[in-house]
Amino acid sequence: MLNNSPTMEDLDGGMASDVEREEEEAVTDLLRDRFRLYTISIAEDEAKQCGMEVSQPIITCISDLAFKFAEQLSKDLELFAHHAGRKSVNMEDVILSAHRNDHLAASLRSFCNDLKTKEPSLERKRKKNPRREGRVAPDLLRTPDT
Amino acid sequence: MEKENTFDPDLVHEIFKLVWKRKAAERGKNELSENIENEVGASSSKRIRPTFANANALKLSSELLRVFVAEAIQRAATIAEAEGSVKIEATHLERILPQLLLDF
Repeated sequence: MLNNSPTMEDLDGGMASDVEREEEEAVTDLLRDRFRLYTISIAEDEAKQCGMEVSQPIITCISDLAFKFAEQLSKDLELFAHHAGRKSVNMEDVILSAHRNDHLAASLRSFCNDLKTKEPSLERKRKKNPRREGRVAPDLLRTPDT
Repeated sequence: MEKENTFDPDLVHEIFKLVWKRKAAERGKNELSENIENEVGASSSKRIRPTFANANALKLSSELLRVFVAEAIQRAATIAEAEGSVKIEATHLERILPQLLLDF
């Protein structure tokens, strides 16, 4: 974003990248709308529990906020994972992203533990072929070094 | 405790993937311009591969987003209640917004 001056490449691929950007924006809008649907149901549930009504523009506003938050979160998670030398984001990264708020981090951690305890059946299913994964993993680990 | 509705982890995944794809493409472009200057092209392919996430991390992220929305509504509801209103309006959201954003 800092170097906005057009280079030779930009001038060359100007048309193509414009089309691409438009497509990307369309996809983002679609995701934002789907995201809003979920926000509406969560917000209305929550408001009902408080015995309150929520005006529609407020929900839209909160939804856009949450969407921006999600985008920011994804950037944070990517950075955390890369800093740890990983290509994939795991639960620790998500908890780390909430480190400013102890209470939030604690509640996420308990949710994470719930997931872990709920999962053993799934884990076992996956563990049926751990050796195969074990064989693949060292190769995957080695390639970035070379 | 009944299961509350939350964001679909798949949807969260799609949002994440979009952002990561964009970032990976940016990295690729940066590497490309660097490579033109330095003429070192060996390491380019591995760093431009987009990040991916595991299923539990996505569930946890959707929970985090759900908490964000729930917290916004609850705080705004508290303010609205204090003002004797039964409907959450923009002014109530405005009041709680700064602290909400600081807390997340």
